[in-house]
Amino acid sequence: MAEQQETINGAIITYFSTASAVGKTLVSINSAAELAREGYRVCLVDFDLQFGDVCNYLQLLPESTVADVQQGIATSGADCHVEDYLTPYVHEAATFYVMASPLKLEEAYNIKTAPMKAMLTQLQTLFDYVVVDTTSMFSELNLAVLDLSTVVIFLGIRDFFPTIKNMSIGNETLKNLHYDQNKLRIVLNRGDSQSDIPMGLMVKTLGGEFYHILPNDFRVANESIKSGVPLVLSHEETKLGQSLRELVYRSTNQDYAPEDESVAEHEMHGGFLSRLFGGRE
Amino acid sequence: MAYRVMLIENDRLLLEQLAQAVQSAEGFQLVARYQSASDALGQGKLFKPNIILLNIDNQDGATLMEQFTRVYPEAAIICMSEHSQAEGVSSMVQAGAKGFIIKPFSAEELKESVETFAKSGMEVSSHVMTFFSPKGKSGKTTLIANLALALGRRTQEQVGIIDADLQFGDMMAFFNLKPKATIVEAVHEIRYMSPVTLNSYFEKVTDHVHVLCGTSAPNLIDRVSIDGFENVVRMARNLFRYILIDVPPGFTPTSISAAELSDVTYVVTMLNGGYELQHTKRALEIFKDWQDYDKRVKPVFTRVTPCDIASQRRLEQALGEPVEAVIPNAYQIVSEAANNGSMAVDIEPDSELSQSVNRLAEKVIGHHHIRWDKP
Repeated sequence: MAEQQETINGAIITYFSTASAVGKTLVSINSAAELAREGYRVCLVDFDLQFGDVCNYLQLLPESTVADVQQGIATSGADCHVEDYLTPYVHEAATFYVMASPLKLEEAYNIKTAPMKAMLTQLQTLFDYVVVDTTSMFSELNLAVLDLSTVVIFLGIRDFFPTIKNMSIGNETLKNLHYDQNKLRIVLNRGDSQSDIPMGLMVKTLGGEFYHILPNDFRVANESIKSGVPLVLSHEETKLGQSLRELVYRSTNQDYAPEDESVAEHEMHGGFLSRLFGGRE
Repeated sequence: MAYRVMLIENDRLLLEQLAQAVQSAEGFQLVARYQSASDALGQGKLFKPNIILLNIDNQDGATLMEQFTRVYPEAAIICMSEHSQAEGVSSMVQAGAKGFIIKPFSAEELKESVETFAKSGMEVSSHVMTFFSPKGKSGKTTLIANLALALGRRTQEQVGIIDADLQFGDMMAFFNLKPKATIVEAVHEIRYMSPVTLNSYFEKVTDHVHVLCGTSAPNLIDRVSIDGFENVVRMARNLFRYILIDVPPGFTPTSISAAELSDVTYVVTMLNGGYELQHTKRALEIFKDWQDYDKRVKPVFTRVTPCDIASQRRLEQALGEPVEAVIPNAYQIVSEAANNGSMAVDIEPDSELSQSVNRLAEKVIGHHHIRWDKP
């Protein structure tokens, strides 16, 4: 009798915030891209269901979305293969897969939490990393995703007082969910941006030292969005790109991986990807 | 001028009790009291009442209102009931009632009610506006705060803001308010409220602008019922000439019901160099199901640079429909004012922001008159 193979569940890394426009999408795209560049099997899930920007930023035209997954699970249950609904993103040697947000707002409005949980759990069996982009609110779906996540990266930004207040409320609320302390990591985006809010207050508001601070570079970030290429995959060396890479290394417990090694690693995993999506045996 | 009150209450004991309350209220004179509406209609004229307190429980309220408004066109009719049902109240108000009070009431409550109704006029010509945005960070809270102040200043009418962004409402912070009650309590308790009691849930910003604040901590499970929320908005129509509702981003039960209750929904988008225009287009598509879409849905863009007519035309071309207003990038002055909680006083009247908000205010006032002053 063939030895039964143990399934391996990959990690879910979720980017969350309770303030809007803090860069969740940009950072989650770059995380997915960086992990893919390193050769991991990566899926990026866009859970900003109504107005998700993942496919906009990556210039993808998805044929299937989470709405189709929900439909698939409704009709075939556990026999629904979620990998059939992914859209690949390929840039040079890096490839990762996107689970797109619905094309129609009506579909987005009618997405239920239970099938999305089932989808995430299934994606975990197929990928090393499932990166999730969210909306800035405590919705039923977001709470379920936070529960399922291996690591939650709470993104903050130095902005005017109402935003700081919302981040503080969000942080307090997250504390009440009683996750393990090291599951929740607070990252400050645009850390050196102009703001009247002193850094000390930021630290106090977000309840603890920052796990990482990303520099402010609106121009570079904007150009990357326009070009459709994540900063970490761009040939232009930027401080922001470098800092995004460091965030990924740290949050996945890796040492700095030099360029050439990662390429070798990629090829190793690359075979699996083509097997997985080139057609099932 | 003293208030000359005529009281109509079928219950003998209650009539006695209410009569005492009226008599002990400062500035109020009880000129007549009746157990029967027919007596009041036929005989009360001799006493020239200017306020009629009319029981509507177990009565055909609509018929009563019709008769009393005909016989007493000069008097303000205030309906009395042991219960408050927002729908009942608004139909009475539509039938011509100036106000509504829960009985029994104290002298203090009566005074407060009459003062409130005198100020708000209890007219049905309330103009309700919802500010919708596809995503967060749209600049709509800034817009609402400044538009409300402008409307209050320009019309000297009562303006109410309802912060229905149930998780992360910002009005409280913008105006530095420490509310005793928020929208959550208002929605919970609306069944037992009259417009007067609802009025006390609104925090004063200026003499003309009041805010029903959002929650101070997010409700993990949305405990605010949509029915209750709708009743709060309906009842608030009796208190304010203009109502501005801030809703959570995207299509949610709250944002949809607010838009449906509103005379106008502004779809507000901040231009940030991303895909905002596409999001706006998609959101507008949803509203196009409404037959009167052209009148009821109006796009507004914030952080428009340069904030001029040429930019507005460009946006209109990209969108394929008229843009109601363009608001400039006012990050610096807005964040300073918001950081100090001094939105009400700190925005310079001749700033570019104030000027563009004032232009929108003029449009609102114009629409409103066209809408309501027609025969």
